[in-house]
Amino acid sequence: MTTRVAESPREGFAAGALARVAPLARSPVVYGIVAAVGAVIVGQYLDVSPPAAYGLCSACHGRDLADWVLNHVEGRKLFITAAGAGAWPLLTVVGLVIGSFAAAKRNGEFGAIDIGGNARQFLFGFVVMGAALFVGGCPTRILIRTGYGDVAGIVGLGGVAAGIVAATLTMRWVARR
Amino acid sequence: MTASIASLVFGCIVGYLGQRSRMCSIGGLRDYVLVRDTGLLKGAFAIVVSAWVAFGAVRLISGSDAGKGLLAAGTTPSGLRAVVAIVVGGVVLGFVATLSGACPLRQHVLAGQGRIGAWSFLAGFYICAVVYSSWIQPSIGGWVL
Repeated sequence: MTTRVAESPREGFAAGALARVAPLARSPVVYGIVAAVGAVIVGQYLDVSPPAAYGLCSACHGRDLADWVLNHVEGRKLFITAAGAGAWPLLTVVGLVIGSFAAAKRNGEFGAIDIGGNARQFLFGFVVMGAALFVGGCPTRILIRTGYGDVAGIVGLGGVAAGIVAATLTMRWVARR
Repeated sequence: MTASIASLVFGCIVGYLGQRSRMCSIGGLRDYVLVRDTGLLKGAFAIVVSAWVAFGAVRLISGSDAGKGLLAAGTTPSGLRAVVAIVVGGVVLGFVATLSGACPLRQHVLAGQGRIGAWSFLAGFYICAVVYSSWIQPSIGGWVL
């Protein structure tokens, strides 16, 4: 049927499959499915477990990594969850930065962009980490906890949604004023 | 060791997909309120629904370690004080994260992509992690994981 004779069938199949799969990476729905199912697998079968639904969280895993480094370098006794308290730390946040760097390099989107407001962003980061550790996870883990059926996750998701709506309306009101 | 390698690999996968799809946990609701764009909101719903399905499958297969039934028990603090504290913390989290432009996971992705503001966000982020577990958590207790 085909008129192309250039490549061998195996290469053609691989290239075709890649061309068919690659656009899927741009879909937020695919991201959600991969992140949630991967978090469940990592949390239940690959030892990232003692707090429930702990597979993916940027705030808690970042806290565990920072505290692990301080405990091992400086000999302090900071709190680490049982998942990250072993001889090796949790490296999710490092993996996030590496993966996004690889994706940006591969697709030519990498570039040091400075849009200003760095002191403000520093302050926002400080407050966000405090609130996230208080609630029990970054917004992504709150979504995963909601899927897990955790009542605290559902309550926290309601609070986060209210905060997002309030902040968005505030930003729009300030911009229109 | 297993947890370390697994979390590193899984973080790489999520970071790659997050950079490609521009997914943000709080961006969905923000975009919906601002311009009625539901692209990212579908991603947030996909996280909740597929986590629900996957945890249900794990409960069916192994039956251990993931709670029983539809609602999990035993992981949460109870009482009115805890609920009020979680709601207030959630409102602060959503408000400030929206003002900063992205959820913490998306800020990691932006940092890998080369955004300077995301790096200063992360500096405050990790300094507060150490401050929280050095002084705040010992005084209020670690009742929320």
